[in-house]
Amino acid sequence: MLTIANQADGTITVKGRLDAASAPEAQQFLDGHDGACILDMQALEYISSAGLGVLLKTHKRLVGAGGALKLINVSAHINDIFGYSGFDKLFDITPA
Amino acid sequence: MNPLYKQRLSLERSIDELPRIVAFTEAFFKAADVQEKLRFTVDLLIEEVFVNLVKYNVSTHKILLELTPFGHGVKLRFTDFDVDKFDPRDAPQVDIEAPLSERTPGGLGVYLSLKIADHIDYEYNKRTSQLTITLLEKS
Repeated sequence: MLTIANQADGTITVKGRLDAASAPEAQQFLDGHDGACILDMQALEYISSAGLGVLLKTHKRLVGAGGALKLINVSAHINDIFGYSGFDKLFDITPA
Repeated sequence: MNPLYKQRLSLERSIDELPRIVAFTEAFFKAADVQEKLRFTVDLLIEEVFVNLVKYNVSTHKILLELTPFGHGVKLRFTDFDVDKFDPRDAPQVDIEAPLSERTPGGLGVYLSLKIADHIDYEYNKRTSQLTITLLEKS
């Protein structure tokens, strides 16, 4: 179960599990955003390579247009996955 | 807490099975004497392998998943029937040092699985593929 939503402060929050089942929904949501986006991952419990693919595709698109996808409040175990994947070198990441 | 606790789940070849897998893993961790801190890794390994089998193996048979405690760690075994051979250890490497412009999501699931598993065994016999992944207790 995944919930992804815009917040009043301009951030995007993501909650639950970003897996192969929920990745298409997350991709569709993020495809509707431009510029500099901040994704608050505080309530994200789980991410798989399908979710990593969503972040990568979105970040590449935004960077190509002069923006970026910044990841904040990243939990330790998800940060580990970012490290294993080399995402720590591609994204601006703020740990929780 | 039964150290011999073992669970099996027979899965349709569909991503729609993921919620059932999550419920299965949750029940396993409640009943077996396995470190809770391994839960995220177990979920990740199961999803990556299962999704790979669904995407790339062609078969009319269901996929069998087994979870068995191994000390305070766990062994995961996937058995896939009437399929071609695919040993994930032979998969092409992902260049995680590549710049953003050259990165693609392809191969990341297998790469992550190889990275986080403590041990991987693969057997292929009479068109049956069996992948066993061991996760050891963490300090």
